[in-house]
Amino acid sequence: MAKKKSDKSEGVDSIIVRSMSWVDDRSKVDKFFWGVVAVGILLTLLDLFYHKHVYFETENIFGFYSFYGFFMCAALVVAARAMRVVLMRSEDYYAPQDVEAEDHPEFDLDRKQADV
Amino acid sequence: MFEWLHPALVYLAGAFLLPFVPNGKARASLILLVPLIGLIPLLTMPYGETLQFTLFGETLTTFRLDRLSFVFSLIFSLAAFLSLLYAWHVRDTMQQVAALAYAGSAIGAALAGDLITLFVWWEGTAIASVFLIWARRTEGSYNTGMRYLIIQIASGVVLLAGAAIHYRETGSLAFDKLSLEGVGAWFILLSFGIKCAFPLLHNWLQDSYPAATVTGTVILSAFTTKLAVYALARGFAGTDFLIPIGAAMTLFPIFYAVIENDLRRVLTYSLNNQLGFMVVGIGVGSELAINGTAAHAFSHILYKALLFMSVGAVLYRTGTAKGSELGGLYKTMPWTMVFCVIGAASISAFPLFSGFISKSMILSAAAKDGHYITWLILLFASAGVFHHSGIKIPYFAFFAHDSGKRPAEAPWNMLLAMGLTAFLCIAIGVWPNALYSILPFDVKYNPYTSTHVITQFQLLFFSAIAFGTLMRTGIYPPELKSVNLDTDWTYRKMLPAVLGFVILFVSAVWSELARGATNSALAIRDTLAKFYGPEGRVAQVQPTGYMVLWLAILLGAALFVNLVGLP
Repeated sequence: MAKKKSDKSEGVDSIIVRSMSWVDDRSKVDKFFWGVVAVGILLTLLDLFYHKHVYFETENIFGFYSFYGFFMCAALVVAARAMRVVLMRSEDYYAPQDVEAEDHPEFDLDRKQADV
Repeated sequence: MFEWLHPALVYLAGAFLLPFVPNGKARASLILLVPLIGLIPLLTMPYGETLQFTLFGETLTTFRLDRLSFVFSLIFSLAAFLSLLYAWHVRDTMQQVAALAYAGSAIGAALAGDLITLFVWWEGTAIASVFLIWARRTEGSYNTGMRYLIIQIASGVVLLAGAAIHYRETGSLAFDKLSLEGVGAWFILLSFGIKCAFPLLHNWLQDSYPAATVTGTVILSAFTTKLAVYALARGFAGTDFLIPIGAAMTLFPIFYAVIENDLRRVLTYSLNNQLGFMVVGIGVGSELAINGTAAHAFSHILYKALLFMSVGAVLYRTGTAKGSELGGLYKTMPWTMVFCVIGAASISAFPLFSGFISKSMILSAAAKDGHYITWLILLFASAGVFHHSGIKIPYFAFFAHDSGKRPAEAPWNMLLAMGLTAFLCIAIGVWPNALYSILPFDVKYNPYTSTHVITQFQLLFFSAIAFGTLMRTGIYPPELKSVNLDTDWTYRKMLPAVLGFVILFVSAVWSELARGATNSALAIRDTLAKFYGPEGRVAQVQPTGYMVLWLAILLGAALFVNLVGLP
């Protein structure tokens, strides 16, 4: 009985896992990425086909949201990367007054391996 | 029927009774029952001020139910139930008691009708919550908890001082909209600002939340900061300068979130960023904006708890929540992954998820009042949230490079709590009107306009494309075992160093001075000894004769003075 139940739940689990397994295949990830790019371009082109209700003139610029999203995020990451040069320290910088370099205490955990 | 029942007292009674119930399923059930019983007075009482009593001639109101306090105490109760369900397996009495007392204090504060009652519960949240950090029982968590407690108590002390000054100025202790013309109100604002993690006052948040236990962080994430948001909305709605403060809050944490390695700390930075949206809403202060703030607090508590739950489940099974150590977990924790993605989609404000229907209210309200720069910043922050919370969290935990870890799926109670929370995140997104109907003001708002949906998708897709591009070109900073300096560096490293230097300097100067003084004293003593010592010249004279000589001189001088002084 118990075995049957676990088989069933494994079934649902494995559907999710199977449907995500493409992430480990480089060429499929490439395809996914270009798919996202294609959808993004289509979404941008939609700007031509509907009337935008805007609060500011800026929003009427063609593809404003797309460009803003892309460039600001890129700028965010580049800036954050640069911040590391100044702000990054080793994990035990504040030790022992800090939990960062500590192991999480085992009594608060329940480490368990999946049966694979 | 239940007019005598105060929800906060239900929690406190629960916390008090807990230790007498056998620690196991019986106690865990009792804990879960508490938020449900606490809901009864909330749902059955009519709006108004009740449970008042008089203290030193002042009327204190412990139960003020109106539309604003209802939204917040309702979501606090829901959050308490969900996070306690998540913590069903915890058998640590200290954490159980702390969790109930903490949630109860937050609800009590949200229902407080005067500043003194507010202060009492305000400190209650501080004292109860620190035990969720100390429950980790390590040297690091002890020290972190101390820092947290000092700052939280400081916030309470400032609140009390503000209330006292405010009372002197206005003769009122009522907790309503406060005018910043008096000094007292500024203190009260500062106190709220500390708990709300205003820029430069924020760092207790990122310092302490990741230091709590697996379940403690989930519980912490819901209450303290949103209580501060409630208090600000109650007392300072429409205060202009909160707009730039909120905008700054949405902005700077996202940079830190990108480079932070501990995923629970990444989530804390994004919590700080989400608070910024709410503070902007409070600053704008229109009915739409306050509704937006309340709605955003409501959905935020749920999706933020969900994200903390999923990362907590990973920590629970693997022993780490660091991006550099994780990856590929979707293979063995698929449910946790799905719930994490739902939380991520909600915080990123994907249409049909909760964040979309609440955050867009705040953006619309800011835009409607013509706050152009603020609107641009909020838009940037929205894209940034998707970047660091929406993509980074699920990506580094469940996908990215395979860490080789194959942890088992989270236990049933965690999955159930995550499932219920995820359901609420989607339900709010799909049927926003249920949430809209309980907001403080009757305002018609439709988030699902074509403009809104399309522009939001454009923003999200292109920030995803930016992530993908940066990943593929290797520009994206890898997760590294590290800590990043934030404002806490000032009081953890700089001030102690400055203090150390001052101590060194002062003690050096002191010892020099003391040495100099000793040397001079010795020199004087030697000189005196030369004349007056046993071998000195003066010692050779008969002491009595010497005395008489001086007496004669003195008398002579007196005579001389008399002589000169004669008229």
